[in-house]
Amino acid sequence: MLLDVIQGLETGGFVIIQDSVHCSGRQLLQSFVSAALKQKEDVHVVAFDVREEDLHVGLDSTCIQRLCFHDGHTDPLGWTECPPFTVHQFTSSDIHALLRQSQHEKPVILVIDSLSWVLRHHPPAVVCQCLQELRRGGTVRSMVALLHSDLHQQGTVGSLCHLATAVVSVAPGVRGQHTVAKTTKRSKSGKVTQEEECFIITQDLTVAVQAQTHHPGHRHAEQEESQVDPAAQLTFNLRLSEAEKEAKDKLSLPFVFSQEKKTALLQPRPGTGQIIYEPDANDDFDQEDPDDDLDV
Amino acid sequence: MAAGETAELRWLTSRSEVRRSLPAAAAGFLTLPWSYRIGVADRRMFPELNSILSISLENIPQGQFVVLSDHNGDASFLIHHFLSLYLRAGCKVCFLGLVQSFSHYSAVAQRLGISLPQARERGQLVFLEGLRESLGELLLEDVAPGERPLDFLRHPQADLRGLLAFVQRSVSGGPEWGPPVLLVDDVSVLLSLGVTVGALQDFSHYCRVTLCCELKGNVVMLVRVEEEDGEEEGSELLLKDLTHQCSLALHVQGLPTGYCKDIHGQVEVCQRVVSDPGDGLLPQKKLFQYKIHDKGVTFFARGTSSAVL
Repeated sequence: MLLDVIQGLETGGFVIIQDSVHCSGRQLLQSFVSAALKQKEDVHVVAFDVREEDLHVGLDSTCIQRLCFHDGHTDPLGWTECPPFTVHQFTSSDIHALLRQSQHEKPVILVIDSLSWVLRHHPPAVVCQCLQELRRGGTVRSMVALLHSDLHQQGTVGSLCHLATAVVSVAPGVRGQHTVAKTTKRSKSGKVTQEEECFIITQDLTVAVQAQTHHPGHRHAEQEESQVDPAAQLTFNLRLSEAEKEAKDKLSLPFVFSQEKKTALLQPRPGTGQIIYEPDANDDFDQEDPDDDLDV
Repeated sequence: MAAGETAELRWLTSRSEVRRSLPAAAAGFLTLPWSYRIGVADRRMFPELNSILSISLENIPQGQFVVLSDHNGDASFLIHHFLSLYLRAGCKVCFLGLVQSFSHYSAVAQRLGISLPQARERGQLVFLEGLRESLGELLLEDVAPGERPLDFLRHPQADLRGLLAFVQRSVSGGPEWGPPVLLVDDVSVLLSLGVTVGALQDFSHYCRVTLCCELKGNVVMLVRVEEEDGEEEGSELLLKDLTHQCSLALHVQGLPTGYCKDIHGQVEVCQRVVSDPGDGLLPQKKLFQYKIHDKGVTFFARGTSSAVL
């Protein structure tokens, strides 16, 4: 599903790439940019975390002309005289003006690296509003943003991901050697699909999916199976043969109260002692007439 | 003791299977003369750390942002290492020593063979002594913010533009020195002085832009993480943000099994920057243990301490 999200950025789509300290999502963001450029789209990058040279690494030189870079890295707070782009300019009206300046015929793809800078200087509600207005504005066809999920509170990250049509979280794999991307895609009809895949990124920024891990619920079973079998290397035998297993299953435990035991206890078996009772005259005790002298 | 140590070392280096199974750094250092392992007055910096980080005096990296952090340990020996390394390599160094006095740093540097007063006199070292300057700052008359390095002490919730301006003035030297370096010891003390985490994140970003990107120099920052249970604001958040920005992270911890006389802790070296795409998205991590001696520090792979072998 990760490749579908990368190749098929639909109109009005908003993809968030979540990463953390343990695994960086910037290369995945670059592969989104590279895929969009190869599809002849116009891409505008608003970058606070990274320089233009670092973003150009690995991109095809023929496609770079379609990439328009807005430098928020050099002076994001406007501490010098003429900052190229500040974080305070991250409002829907300013960004629309910026995009219209470049005079593209069709709507562009907006890439934001990263949203963490914006969230530090604007309240989360304002950021969400701005992103929603950008989506609906008409100058932006779709958006891809990088978010460092461990730098913000869970609520903030959750509200931003709620706006997104697809969320890709990158994390190190179980054994720490490969990277796993968990993709959550929300379609227009409201259906949510999730998938976890192991992937690598090649030299020319194409994503190759290596394996699909199962649904996380199955991962526990896999882990248990991969553990060492303790009865493997012993000098004595701890395993059971088939016949022994069957006999063990058939055995009923002494204090388990099953149906057979119940009937055996309640019904008298032949050969056991029987109790024969003949009513004695002294035993005929009438509660209502203890002296037996009422003529009723 | 000397004869015994030499004999032990000879036995170790002759056991080739031992050498093959150890990581390269540890195997390499085992073949060094025993004086380097013990640590004698000959030592200038920590040669093993340089080989672990692939740094040498001739090959100083450029544009590197190094984050040192510690947790139940003391990473200040790494600051002394980087200070002596860059001074010896002829770089222009701006040192924000906010935690200790100048005489403390120069006493430790003396043991590593560097004279800080001389470096300061010839203009190679610019030292901001936080302890002394802060007192002067508080006793001063009203000054507009942004002009003095420690003016955030007077204006709470302020940003660190004054400190940044000081750093920019200090590193803009002539071409007689090598690429400039900024060392900060340590950033988390600013948190306890009332600076917000956001202001520190902005400050570190601007330092990185000025020093690493524009001037092709290096930045080394020490962050000390305190035991704050469940509190995201503060040093842990700052450390995570700096780790996202950095190219190399060194994390010092005490041993998880407790105190040990011969091993003072462990260092996790985390190489974050990939030179080209396809190298992998995960940072490369290596773990070493260390022991601090009188005039130096020895590093070794886990389980290969002299007390164990």
